[in-house]
Amino acid sequence: MEEIMISDVKSQLQLQPSDEHREKLSRLSLVQLELAYRKAPVGFALFDSKEFRLLSMNDNWAEMMDVPSHQVLNKTIEEIAPGLAGIVEMFEIVAQGGKIENQFIKGELPGRPGVERHWLVNYTPMFDKEGTVEAISTVSLEISAEKQLVAMGIRAHVAQTEAKYRGLLEAAPDAMIVVNQSGEIVLLNVQAEKQFGYSRDELVGQQVKNLIPEGFAERLIADGTRTAAEALAPQMGTGIELSGCRKDGSKFPIEIMLSPLESDEGILVTAAIRDISVRKRAEQHLAQTEAKYRGLLEAAPDAMVVVNKGGDIVLLNVQAEVQFGYRRDELLGQQVKNIIPEGFAERLIADGIRSATEALTQQIGTGIELYGQRKDGTEFPIEIMLSPLESVEGILTTAAIRNISVRKAAEAHLIQMEARYRGLLEAAPDAMVVVDKDGQIVLLNVQAEKQFGYLRDELIGQQVQRIIPEGFAERIIADGLRSVEDALAQEIGTGIELLGQRKDGSEFPIEIMLSPLESIKGVLVTAAIRDITTRKKAAETLLQKVDELNRSNGELEQFAYIASHDLQEPLRMVSSYTQLLAKRYKGKLGSDADEFISFAVDGASRMQRLIRDLLVYSRVGTGVYEFRSVSSEGALQQALTNLSGAISESGAIVSYEHLPVALANEMQLVQLFQNLVGNAIKYRTSAIPIINISAVRETDLHWKFSVQDNGLGIEPQHFERIFGLFQRLHKRDEFSGTGIGLAICKKIVERHGGTISVRSRLGEGSIFQFTMEGGDSQT
Amino acid sequence: MMSNERKRGPVDVLLVEDSPGDVRLTQEAFRNAHASLNLHVTSDGVEAMSFLRREGEHEHAPRPNLILLDLNLPRMDGREVLAQIKQDAALKTIPVVILTTSEAETDIRKSYQLQASCYLTKPSQLEEFEHLVSSLSSFWLTKVWFTGRGGPDESQLD
Repeated sequence: MEEIMISDVKSQLQLQPSDEHREKLSRLSLVQLELAYRKAPVGFALFDSKEFRLLSMNDNWAEMMDVPSHQVLNKTIEEIAPGLAGIVEMFEIVAQGGKIENQFIKGELPGRPGVERHWLVNYTPMFDKEGTVEAISTVSLEISAEKQLVAMGIRAHVAQTEAKYRGLLEAAPDAMIVVNQSGEIVLLNVQAEKQFGYSRDELVGQQVKNLIPEGFAERLIADGTRTAAEALAPQMGTGIELSGCRKDGSKFPIEIMLSPLESDEGILVTAAIRDISVRKRAEQHLAQTEAKYRGLLEAAPDAMVVVNKGGDIVLLNVQAEVQFGYRRDELLGQQVKNIIPEGFAERLIADGIRSATEALTQQIGTGIELYGQRKDGTEFPIEIMLSPLESVEGILTTAAIRNISVRKAAEAHLIQMEARYRGLLEAAPDAMVVVDKDGQIVLLNVQAEKQFGYLRDELIGQQVQRIIPEGFAERIIADGLRSVEDALAQEIGTGIELLGQRKDGSEFPIEIMLSPLESIKGVLVTAAIRDITTRKKAAETLLQKVDELNRSNGELEQFAYIASHDLQEPLRMVSSYTQLLAKRYKGKLGSDADEFISFAVDGASRMQRLIRDLLVYSRVGTGVYEFRSVSSEGALQQALTNLSGAISESGAIVSYEHLPVALANEMQLVQLFQNLVGNAIKYRTSAIPIINISAVRETDLHWKFSVQDNGLGIEPQHFERIFGLFQRLHKRDEFSGTGIGLAICKKIVERHGGTISVRSRLGEGSIFQFTMEGGDSQT
Repeated sequence: MMSNERKRGPVDVLLVEDSPGDVRLTQEAFRNAHASLNLHVTSDGVEAMSFLRREGEHEHAPRPNLILLDLNLPRMDGREVLAQIKQDAALKTIPVVILTTSEAETDIRKSYQLQASCYLTKPSQLEEFEHLVSSLSSFWLTKVWFTGRGGPDESQLD
């Protein structure tokens, strides 16, 4: 349509004068010619051929410029019409002698800025006589007004369409430039201005090489060899990466998408240019990161295998190669099933159900135990930790695979040991409770169930306070402050007494022995708990008995005092006065009186002896006696001195060997020897009494003393009895005695921590033996 | 030296003894020993002190040359009597012989701490008792010098 319109205008502008006209013209005066020239409805202008300065113009041309003629005269065409692209080039062509006709140009002129105007222009060289171009004449016809009139509708549509495309162009996120076949930029958008740092005017008409120094031209050439149809058929350019150059000379990575665009000016190329510096940087970072992670992957102590959603191995490290016995390339692309036959897939599926974020927050895989299979088919226990890995290829799963054969073996051993110890635990006579650092019961035996009245399940996981309300926790805390080594070295707990509480709430006394137990779960405390109810009761009873005994002892002491004074006093009166009676009135009151008085005297005397011996006996155990090192030989000699009357009277032969130093109360030791030797003399046969006293070391500390005689001897059934109080084996008329002597001996020996016994045969004498703590034998 | 034979007449002895049996026994024992003495008897500690201080009915009591003192007495026991005598400037020069049944070490120690002249226990057998009183008599009543009375020779008073 436009083409037709322009042809019409051309036909109107046929200004080629015929020869007849030229003759007529030559006849017209110059003035007339000039007037015609001046007032012609088209614009005439004459420029010099060197600098293209305006030499002359008519009114129409001046009107077109919208400036007074004196302002443009002698100015160059560039200065006058800077907005008309390509016009200088036209002038240059004409200056060489060429003639251009009906050139359609458009553009703005300084006189009416912002308005695009259209002209049809003829350029004609004017030769001098030598045939060189002296001047250039132009004839211009502005056609805008006409266009508006003739093709308003069409033009509006065109403008609209163009505006729409221009809008699209401007709205494009990428820099868009349109380049013609000579590599000149003919169109660009605001993004292109921004990206390259030029203003639009600076770029239009520029070689694209200025923006994209390398690659683009080659591309164009390559494309140039194709036909438009060819170029149009496949979508040119699926993205090529080049380098862009800004106005300031800095460079930046770009990606170009080219597409051909057919126009009246031939095939143009539209280039969509994207600044990919950000992406490039991201890619570079990614590559770096990947390298880093690959390093980590290889350095990992575990076998690491990355698996995609299809179960294919996409990545692995050297540990994985070693563990499974495959080379890397043998495993890549293989199904993970080949190395972990069971469980992994299920796990993957389960994890696949979860989103990556869910899985991450849930900390996938805190270790699941499966079996790995080596290339040679052997299996080994593994522990897998899975974690999701988001990637361009979708969510991958990273599996850290640890060979746990050693640990498994250790665990098996442990289980064995545990079973053994559990046996011991159950066999223990005490209730055994194992408690962790938080005071929770982790293990107990059947005795514990019985003692506390709970079932095992009811106690496991419970706080130990439930069965031992007080004291235990404090103990654990105290022990917790110590290191395990300390605690072990110090042998925690040498028995502490606390209260246990049964399920029914009743309490009972317990004794606890604590000992630390190192385990995988940290230090545990094993408590051996003994029900000491019986012992407590026994102890209480014992205390009661001791109390009673002390009381009765006190009473005995009281009795001893009474006996020593208040009883002895009247007895002494009876004794003294019966003796006085006997002395003064013997033979004066008749034989009956003499006999009665003698019985009275004898009875009183015996009673006095009895009371005196009882007093000695009761005093042995009372009072505070100091035990010190005394010479037992010295004590014996003292006893023999005290017995000298009896010895000389009986003619007894008393011998003794070296006797040791004894740890004893000397007075009591004298009493002991005196009673034993005294008895040996008293209970003699008709033969001369032969008595020997000796001592042998029994242990490091103890000596055994023997007092041997050749006396009457004792029947075995009396061995025990004779040491009892008031026990006599003989009639009074045979041997006088109170039956207290040996009881005193027993009491003295026992008070010194020893024992006394007798060995004897009737008629063959006796050996009385007692033990006593002592030192070295005397020399 | 002058002869030790007694020329001063019978010695005054105070027997502090609550048991009439013992009093009689002691008298019999002195008789048995043919001792010459004036034996005065008080039956408890309070009376003994009033005798010594010539109080009440004892206004004309003599100052005894020797005291035979039992420890266990009614009202005021022998230990207290001994203590009071030894704290009294007028009485403390009188020798006090303890004659008791107690063999307790505490009694023995206490008596000497309170400056008893000697400590004797009463034997349970008559014969031994007689022997004890006889020796007591032959020593204290014949050999010993007393302040205020002198010894056998009046001129030997110090």
